[in-house]
Amino acid sequence: MSNETNRISIEELKRNALEIRKNVVRMVARNGQGYVQQGLGAADIFTYLYFSEAQLDPKDSSWLERDRIFLSTAHNSALFHATLAQRGIISPESLLSYTNDGSALEINVSERLGSIVEATCGSLGQALSVAAGVSLTAKRHEKSYRSYVILGDGELQEGQTWEAAMFAASHHLNNLCLIIDLNSLQVEGHTDKVLKMEPIDKKFEAFGWNTIMVDGHNFSDLRDAFTSASNEIKKPTVLIAKTLVGKGCLSLEGQLSHNMILPQNVAIRALEELGERYD
Amino acid sequence: MTNNLHLGDFTSNASNSVTIPKYYGDALVKLGHEIPEIVVLTGDLSPATECDLFRDIFPDRFFTAGIAEANMVGISAGMARSGDIPFVHTFSVFLSRRSLDQIAMQVAYPNLNVKLCGFLPGLTTLLGVSHQAIEDNAIMRSLPNMALVEPCGARQIESAVRAASAYEGPVYLRLHRPSKPMSPAEKLLPLEIGKGQLIIEGTDAIIFAMGHMVDISIDAAKSLLPHGIKVAVANIHSLKPLDTNFILENSKLASVVVTAENHSIIGGLGSAVAEVCMDHAVLPNKFLRIGLNNTFSSIVGSQHYLRAQFEIDHNAIVSSVKKLFNL
Repeated sequence: MSNETNRISIEELKRNALEIRKNVVRMVARNGQGYVQQGLGAADIFTYLYFSEAQLDPKDSSWLERDRIFLSTAHNSALFHATLAQRGIISPESLLSYTNDGSALEINVSERLGSIVEATCGSLGQALSVAAGVSLTAKRHEKSYRSYVILGDGELQEGQTWEAAMFAASHHLNNLCLIIDLNSLQVEGHTDKVLKMEPIDKKFEAFGWNTIMVDGHNFSDLRDAFTSASNEIKKPTVLIAKTLVGKGCLSLEGQLSHNMILPQNVAIRALEELGERYD
Repeated sequence: MTNNLHLGDFTSNASNSVTIPKYYGDALVKLGHEIPEIVVLTGDLSPATECDLFRDIFPDRFFTAGIAEANMVGISAGMARSGDIPFVHTFSVFLSRRSLDQIAMQVAYPNLNVKLCGFLPGLTTLLGVSHQAIEDNAIMRSLPNMALVEPCGARQIESAVRAASAYEGPVYLRLHRPSKPMSPAEKLLPLEIGKGQLIIEGTDAIIFAMGHMVDISIDAAKSLLPHGIKVAVANIHSLKPLDTNFILENSKLASVVVTAENHSIIGGLGSAVAEVCMDHAVLPNKFLRIGLNNTFSSIVGSQHYLRAQFEIDHNAIVSSVKKLFNL
């Protein structure tokens, strides 16, 4: 596949992220509840990864040399599907069927959607292990594709995450990149109130990872961070990406609500804040 | 001072054991030569699971996961997704109990070509209750897509490994190290996944047995002959897929149906045979499940001692079958 994705401008990235955010609000609003806050929060990370970083063929999601993206936060599915549609991997019309009876687009994404979903997660903390297995085999067979994992910060509470972190460093998986969506939100509220995890960067450094703190809404910073990951010759890389839940919709920003109720009037206001006009 | 003392494996007291060939390890090496996609993972148990032999021949295809079984299962899934055929090694308990969610979501649901090799099934260890897998068959059998194979002894191990590697999809390979070497008179047994195997014919009763309970059942059948009871013995090396027709046909011929397993009587072979017979209205006059009767083992001892204590040995089979015939 071409590298033309990597030349996409920051303006283009912003334009795509905005369209994706609008679809996140629309998809969740149709259900009246869902993971709108996480979707808005991680939209810039997803946009950068799918539009600028990962080598993908939108017309052939099972292309053997593709980079593998693992969505450990499988519930962040409004954002996931909206990103795929914006990238041309699934049709924009299919978003209308999100969570409908018999739809391929479900709340916790699974590989029923095809190989664009590299592993069925949802049971938290499992993706990093599978991605490490893919990266290990890729290195052994001298394949150039890389593995990316989008992990929720709450998943750092799962022991398996740290088993996998130890394994990846021990086996020098420099073709593995973990992106932690540090949005401080889990079901019971702020992560600090549920189970303190800081200092996350020092933990990963101690585990032998190339550790980078990054503003998850700054495309220029994200580009630098992903470049550092690609240039790393020995260690796996973790990007600890600070994000704001509800980002882009002023009335929703910072509201720590996991599976948020989203009434029509709130959704309309959110869309207006994203620049959508209603006559 | 010697520095050549080898690791024991806790299947028996070393002082009581003669040198036993690593039948499984040898078979894995043979297949490693034939199938380059085979890779091996171990959870810090290479000698006890015999994959140290593979390690020494194929170091580039051998990976240590450390004492982290959940991660090891996930790693194997990633490798299988990339075209490898991973053989994953630890004790049966740490697969069935500790890594169940990972096996369900990362191996069974995506139907990946991973071979889960669990050792120390049932009461085959001195290591006590934490290491005794007494419900692993019940757990693994209930997972969609999962096949479950247990060879009946040294003479069937190589064919079990071959069948598992030739099978497209996840297999739970339930393995135990034989407590004695094969005798020169013993013949190798074939193994076909999805097929039952009649070892001894008999018209009065049939024992469906698994794993090392097959040999124990054969001995029991011989002991019952002088009492006028002709007992057939069948080896169910493939608990899943189960040879339903084989079980039905043989159950119809005998008035008494017995199951014998190195496992809880809940959810394993006994349950599977009962399900098949009930589903098809094949109702034997008498039905008996021999196995651990809804109990953990709280007793210390060798496998021989434990089997006697929990009445899943030769004497228990003989006396309970006699009772079924009012003898």
